[in-house]
Amino acid sequence: MENFEPIIVAFCCHYCAYTAADMAGSKRLSYPPNVKIIKAPCSGKIDAIHIMQALQKGADGVYVAGCLEGDCHFKSGNTRAAQRVSYIKKLLEEIGIEGERVEMFTMSAGMGERFAEVATEFTEKIRKMGPNPIKRAAKAAC
Amino acid sequence: MQDQNISQSSSKVLVVGGGVGGIRTALDLAEAGRDVVLIEKSYSIGGLMTLLDRTFPTNNCDLCTISPHLSESGRDLHIELMTMTQIEKLEGSAGDFTVSLATQPRYIDLEKCTACGDCQRAFPDCVRFTPGLDHRAPTCMRYPQATPYAFSIDMEKCANPEELAKVCRSEAIIINDAPKMKDVKIGAIVLAPGAEVFDPSVLDGYCYGSEPDVVTSLEYERILSASGPTKGELVRPSDGKKPKKIAWIQCVGSRSVKEGCAPYCSSACCMFALKEAMVTRERFSKDNEIETTIFFMDMRTSWKDYELYLQRAKKDYGVRLVRSRPHNIFPDPETDMLAISYTTDASAAAQTEQFDMVVLATGFKVPQEMRDLAGKLGIELNEHSFAKTGSFDPVAASKPGVYVCGLFEAPKDIPETMVQASAAACNAARHVAQHKKAAEDPAELPPERDVTGEDPKIGVFICDCGFDIGGVIDVNRVVEAARFIPNVAASEMVGHGCSRESLERIADVIKEKGLNRVVIGGCSPRTHETLFQDTIRNAGINKYLVEMANLRDQDTWVHRDNPEAATQKAMELIRMAAGSVRLAHPLADNVFPVNKDVLVIGGGVAGMSSALSLADMGFKVYLTEKTGKLGGVAKNIHRNIEGDDVQKFMNDLIDIVQRHPNIEVITGSVVVDHSGIAGMFKTGLQIGPQMYYRAINHGVTIVATGALPNRPDEYLLGKNKAVVTQLDLDGIIETAPDKVKSWNSVAMIQCVGSRSPENPNCSRICCQSTVKNAIRIKTINPDANVYVLYRDMRTPGFLEDYYSKARAMGVIFARYEVDAKPIVEAEGDGIRIKFFDPILGRDVSAFVDCLALSTGLVADEEDTEELGMIFHLPRTTDNYFLEEHVKLRPVDLPIPGFFVAGSAHAPKSIRDSIAQAQAAAGRAQTFLARDAINLGAVVAHVDGNRCAACLICVRACPFGVPFINADGHSQIDADKCHGCGVCAAECPAKAIQLMRFEDDQLCAQIDALLYGALERMA
Repeated sequence: MENFEPIIVAFCCHYCAYTAADMAGSKRLSYPPNVKIIKAPCSGKIDAIHIMQALQKGADGVYVAGCLEGDCHFKSGNTRAAQRVSYIKKLLEEIGIEGERVEMFTMSAGMGERFAEVATEFTEKIRKMGPNPIKRAAKAAC
Repeated sequence: MQDQNISQSSSKVLVVGGGVGGIRTALDLAEAGRDVVLIEKSYSIGGLMTLLDRTFPTNNCDLCTISPHLSESGRDLHIELMTMTQIEKLEGSAGDFTVSLATQPRYIDLEKCTACGDCQRAFPDCVRFTPGLDHRAPTCMRYPQATPYAFSIDMEKCANPEELAKVCRSEAIIINDAPKMKDVKIGAIVLAPGAEVFDPSVLDGYCYGSEPDVVTSLEYERILSASGPTKGELVRPSDGKKPKKIAWIQCVGSRSVKEGCAPYCSSACCMFALKEAMVTRERFSKDNEIETTIFFMDMRTSWKDYELYLQRAKKDYGVRLVRSRPHNIFPDPETDMLAISYTTDASAAAQTEQFDMVVLATGFKVPQEMRDLAGKLGIELNEHSFAKTGSFDPVAASKPGVYVCGLFEAPKDIPETMVQASAAACNAARHVAQHKKAAEDPAELPPERDVTGEDPKIGVFICDCGFDIGGVIDVNRVVEAARFIPNVAASEMVGHGCSRESLERIADVIKEKGLNRVVIGGCSPRTHETLFQDTIRNAGINKYLVEMANLRDQDTWVHRDNPEAATQKAMELIRMAAGSVRLAHPLADNVFPVNKDVLVIGGGVAGMSSALSLADMGFKVYLTEKTGKLGGVAKNIHRNIEGDDVQKFMNDLIDIVQRHPNIEVITGSVVVDHSGIAGMFKTGLQIGPQMYYRAINHGVTIVATGALPNRPDEYLLGKNKAVVTQLDLDGIIETAPDKVKSWNSVAMIQCVGSRSPENPNCSRICCQSTVKNAIRIKTINPDANVYVLYRDMRTPGFLEDYYSKARAMGVIFARYEVDAKPIVEAEGDGIRIKFFDPILGRDVSAFVDCLALSTGLVADEEDTEELGMIFHLPRTTDNYFLEEHVKLRPVDLPIPGFFVAGSAHAPKSIRDSIAQAQAAAGRAQTFLARDAINLGAVVAHVDGNRCAACLICVRACPFGVPFINADGHSQIDADKCHGCGVCAAECPAKAIQLMRFEDDQLCAQIDALLYGALERMA
């Protein structure tokens, strides 16, 4: 897999993770451009459909980023998101896709460093794992 | 009640101080439709709270709860923020002041500065930018936009101003900036300048300054803080090693007669020391390797639920508490540790113990500059140099039209500051008229074009944002690529997209090309979305048909080292935004008219004070009282600790309330039903012996139902007539002084029925009642022996003066342990009391003529349970109403439109009840100032045809909003929905969609991003 540039989708909640991403910008902290952010009001809004669809359409890794535990703007949306992510990880394993392609992260809005760190580490992890097996399957089918 | 005839010739309120108190006051006033000038002597707002790592009792960094409001205050047109500004002089009188303001030069044009940071990188020594970005900064300045979001220049350190000015591409640096003077006409002033923290270097025994491991509590906060000097590593300043044993010493600079120290109690230190010890144990001591010890005199944890916090610190976190005031700290060069010498009640011999670090819990002091400020304003200070206020008028300074809140009034913590801030806003608002409604009137906007049925025609506008975007990516290529996105009818670059010129250009293109959707590629929607929404609305398009792609904060700023990848990413972000906006629907904001009448439940001192404040502002108030007459518990009190005549005050208050044309008093009434939302409530009452029913329509509700004087079955209360409560004793002293003169001895027992397993909280008011009554007895009968048996004497703030006075008058204070309570027996006409005196170190037996029990208050369980059920209001375990946010919203209840005042919130003195009542009125007023409530458009919408009434949404909603309606499907009322979308994610039938974030919109972004990804691999 030379020159493999993973595609990472990051679903970020408005109040914390999306703001942390802006904070990373304000502080000019660089992280890999592979990460593309989709904004949601709350991490609890991100449904299994969205995560699965991203993987199905060719994303190599997906993560959901919400507020720190106990700090969710909507009280408990982040804990629901975390439950959903762990459910999806199991589901993926069952169908032969590595569960680690999907993760949940939490951070406060001020944690620009953490946002950049998470984006970098996750991208590197996926880079090492190689492309989403769905893509390999699609290639084989051709 | 400062003055009844209010003049309103000026239209602004001046708020002095940009800490949490000043910000709350300014926001409350602005929301209530008053113009505000907020001045701050520093170069950005935030005050002391933004230096803290975490705050008690939640141990959260609650800054995220207030910082959106901070930036809101910067944006709000009705708050003029003037940093680096102080008052020069004040002339005129209430309603018609002229204030002269002096502003120091910032050398930066706030209008032009984009906070890009070029100047700071080029000249780091002479550019200041505090919040968020340097080590002195607020811990978790969770929001990147410090207010104002701009730098300032320290010109004294700048050797070459011309070179510095050249660095700035926005030409924002003004090298010849000079101090400015400005006269402003104002109607009222709120002083919230805060206080300073005591400097312990004046105390020679504690080695502060000479030993680096002796730090103040504020310095310790910075050490714990993730953005602090150690980046959140807990290490000793001296050698960078992790400490194993940390001690806190309380009352440093407070409760002391030493030179340079303050005799009063600083009120907040017990709680912040507990918090620091708990946070230390929780975050840095995973294997219990750090031992935390607090040396204290009295643990003063008396505000709502603080006693439970103390219990948690002891039991769950293993914080060790030692009752002692250490004399000395001295370094031990052999162990490289700090030795503390102290004595305890258990043994008179001095003990020595070694610690790695010592934290001095330093209190608050009024700095000289505030004394000067008071002089300039002509307001009186008390003997401790804090602002003097009335005991029945807690936030009014001695000069009409001038109000105070926060630390400048007295030492206190954040919740009490927030209460006073809202109370001050309520009072100040009466001096100025509401400003004319802003031009948001829909009638003034062009008609909205109906775009339903039209094919999407998207216009893409990309800002180059000076060099911030254009300097990294090839904007032209992004513009060209956007032309190939389906449904894009126009694509162009617009310089600074947020400039007036560019906004006009966007509006013109929308009209010329008949666009019906817009994508803006630029900065963050968090800061600029409303601006572009307004722009397209002014061009006749529904404001929800615009989407922003965050090309700056999330692309060019973070991928500057890889311009090609950043350019590709920009194209993808534009594609994603276009994909989403293509599916966007025009949405209507949910707008409802506001009923401006007020329902106040409870006719005690709090309810009457709230009613009066609102009625004076012209609102119609319904004041309901369960019993036959107004007055509540305060009606039975004769004197407060200051010695004022409470009866006279109460009679006058009742008289004014009953005669007020805007207040309708409904006695003998109970609430039986309730419906509606804030702005349009309907509450049913049953009134009088006939129990006839009456429905009241109102916009807001203030709950001021008070609490009950506790009469527990302890120490012969109710069985022996020599045993009374402090409330009874107040009456005896006032009405039968001869009886008091005949007494030889009186005993008082504290914490009867409080701080016990049945009622774990502190009743807060009893220590001061005891001190008050003890002083009165000693005044009438100096020869009487007065024994006070206590666990901790809790006389925060200036109440400490009265405690000291009582001791000086010869009142004997003896501490008892909870497992060795005093023993009380009937003997003749009096009482035999036996207790252990820890100072004498032996048992004492005394005959007393009167035994007064400090029984405090308890919530009326039946009443609060009933009201809690009817209004859906949560309660604490001890049946007080639970506020929205214990730190920052102490008078707002969790249901919008509900506010709490007085002892219904927690036990309170008359003075505190009045402050909270005025605060509740102030908060209510902010809501009542608007004519309509706009709840936005991001709400969940249920498709009844797809709903199977499975109840999953009902259970999932964090706010309990969905319910199954009469048609048999789930209903989510737009007026209650918070817009998180949890229900939409959980709904198995996908019958619920969150407007603006519909599933197909999110999927369209995924599709747009991943378009061709599978094929590319293949």
